[in-house]
Amino acid sequence: MTYSKKGLNIWEPGYAIALIYFISNFILYRISEKHFTKPIVSFFIFLFDIITISLAIYFTQGIENDFYLIYFLVIFVASVGQNIGGSIPIAIVASLIYGWMVYRSNPGVSLFESAFLIRIPFFCILALISSYWAESTRIELREKEDLERFNRELKKEVRRVVAKEIELREYIEKVISSVPSGVIAASKDGIITTLNPAAERALGLKKEDAVGNDIKNIHGINALWQKMEESMNSGASLLSEEVAIQNKNNENIPIGLSISPITGLKEKLLGCVAIFKDLSELKALKEKLNQAERLSYLGKMASWVAHEIRNPLAVIHGFAELLTNTKKEEKIVLYCSEIHKGTQRIDNIIDDILAFARDKKKQTQLKEINLRVLIEDIVKNFDVETKINSDEYPIIKGEPESIRRIFVNLITNSIEAMNEKGVLQINFSYGENWLTTEITDNGKGIQEEYLKKLFTPFFTTKPRGTGLGLAIVKKILEEQKGKIEIESEEGVGTTSRVYLPKEKEERNE
Amino acid sequence: MNEWENKQESKKKRVLVCDDEESIRLLIKETLGDSYDCVGASNGQEALKKFSQEPFDLVIMDIKMPGTHGLDAIEQIRETNKKIPIVICTAYRLMEDDFVVKTSDVAAFFPKPLDIKALKAKIFELIGN
Repeated sequence: MTYSKKGLNIWEPGYAIALIYFISNFILYRISEKHFTKPIVSFFIFLFDIITISLAIYFTQGIENDFYLIYFLVIFVASVGQNIGGSIPIAIVASLIYGWMVYRSNPGVSLFESAFLIRIPFFCILALISSYWAESTRIELREKEDLERFNRELKKEVRRVVAKEIELREYIEKVISSVPSGVIAASKDGIITTLNPAAERALGLKKEDAVGNDIKNIHGINALWQKMEESMNSGASLLSEEVAIQNKNNENIPIGLSISPITGLKEKLLGCVAIFKDLSELKALKEKLNQAERLSYLGKMASWVAHEIRNPLAVIHGFAELLTNTKKEEKIVLYCSEIHKGTQRIDNIIDDILAFARDKKKQTQLKEINLRVLIEDIVKNFDVETKINSDEYPIIKGEPESIRRIFVNLITNSIEAMNEKGVLQINFSYGENWLTTEITDNGKGIQEEYLKKLFTPFFTTKPRGTGLGLAIVKKILEEQKGKIEIESEEGVGTTSRVYLPKEKEERNE
Repeated sequence: MNEWENKQESKKKRVLVCDDEESIRLLIKETLGDSYDCVGASNGQEALKKFSQEPFDLVIMDIKMPGTHGLDAIEQIRETNKKIPIVICTAYRLMEDDFVVKTSDVAAFFPKPLDIKALKAKIFELIGN
């Protein structure tokens, strides 16, 4: 702007420059902003600014004018808008033009003696300082922006993870709710953390009341907690356990359950979870079945006893009647002998019934029994060739009468299955836990369809069998903690294997 | 059993006694005494075999026997001979009605223990002496 005593004269160059400046700024305003982001475009704009200011200085009072300060403004703005590579060329251009004007304004004086020359270095210093400042501010701003962007993304990610977590939790809850068995989980100090609807029904609890409360304060399920504690203390799962809990009406409910401890990081115990099922119905059903089985047994037993006893009874009754009508001595002897056989047979039947119905809880005196001696004593009563393929004299502890009955029954079966050429073979062997006695015959064998029925009471393949022999053997062996296996092939023979628990201390004798 | 098979007494009426218990067969033989010629069989198969080989006037049959059941044996006898009287002697009681219905052509039913006088009388009534 020019100061004139003549007032404002728009035709003066100063005004023209101002006008050009406004028009150019108006045009720039119309140009899309994205073009300014290109360094070359903004460089030319700043260059244009520098030239405009230089013209303004030139056409006003020259270098004495204070307009040179506007250079600083432009250089500063260029530094802020561009990097150092943008602002330094602008500062150099400004320095050159200003230097030229300083030189022109004092033609006779050396440029280096001019008092105005000192202004020039400041252009570059300002460009450097402001560029440096702008650059560091920009970096700071960029870092801040990066941080903000990172924050935004982090928040988004957290929201996504939380949503996923909620979805997963709901899914797990639904799975647990859908399980038809009761599921209850508790922390290690007994605070209930999970209770599914089946558990609510079985325990008569409401989830809202139970979760968060101490399981020990809930009436009737102490037995359940004891098992849970047991599992947590041992750190191992308990499978197929059975306990009784009380419902609201103090009725005992049997439940079958499996418990697993819950561990977190580094195997740290967090609590445990129990899965259980109300066994009441199952138990009732089982009881009913047992009762039916008992009744069926009783019925079978009664019918068997009646039938078995009537045969020898018929013999005794008939011969007794014949006896009254005969005087022949040989007939009397024959009839008496038949009556005697009949009574013997009834006695055997009663023996079998008693052996079968014997109460196993009745403890009898256990004695040491030498199996070889026992078997030799039994086979001596039969006219049969017997081979004992072992030098052992195995000793077991047991109830002598019962053990004898096992071998009498098995040996009798074998002998009855063989003809005159039959050979009975006995073998003893020691296993890890068992003393095994093998009785093998070369008799007619057992039909395959009968094999699985062998131990069924009243099942018999023999004309005068009571059907109790092997049932008694099995029962005695169960009481003696032993077991039996029977293998047979029709026409080849049968092997009965009796396993009795080994007497460890006697093994080395 | 073989010791009381006496084919030479061919004039006597022949009775086939089928029971798995030897004592019962002996009892029946002793009861019928000298009046009849008794032949024993210890099971259904043996009875059928003897029945097909020799002529008999009457059959006494037990029901529960190993192998061929008494009722099956009766059925098979009836296939070849519709007339011969069959008498059942068995320790079963509850099944009595079943037997009678199923084998309506059974001449008599004697439960064990046997009333030997009644048995003898019935046999006399059926086939005479």
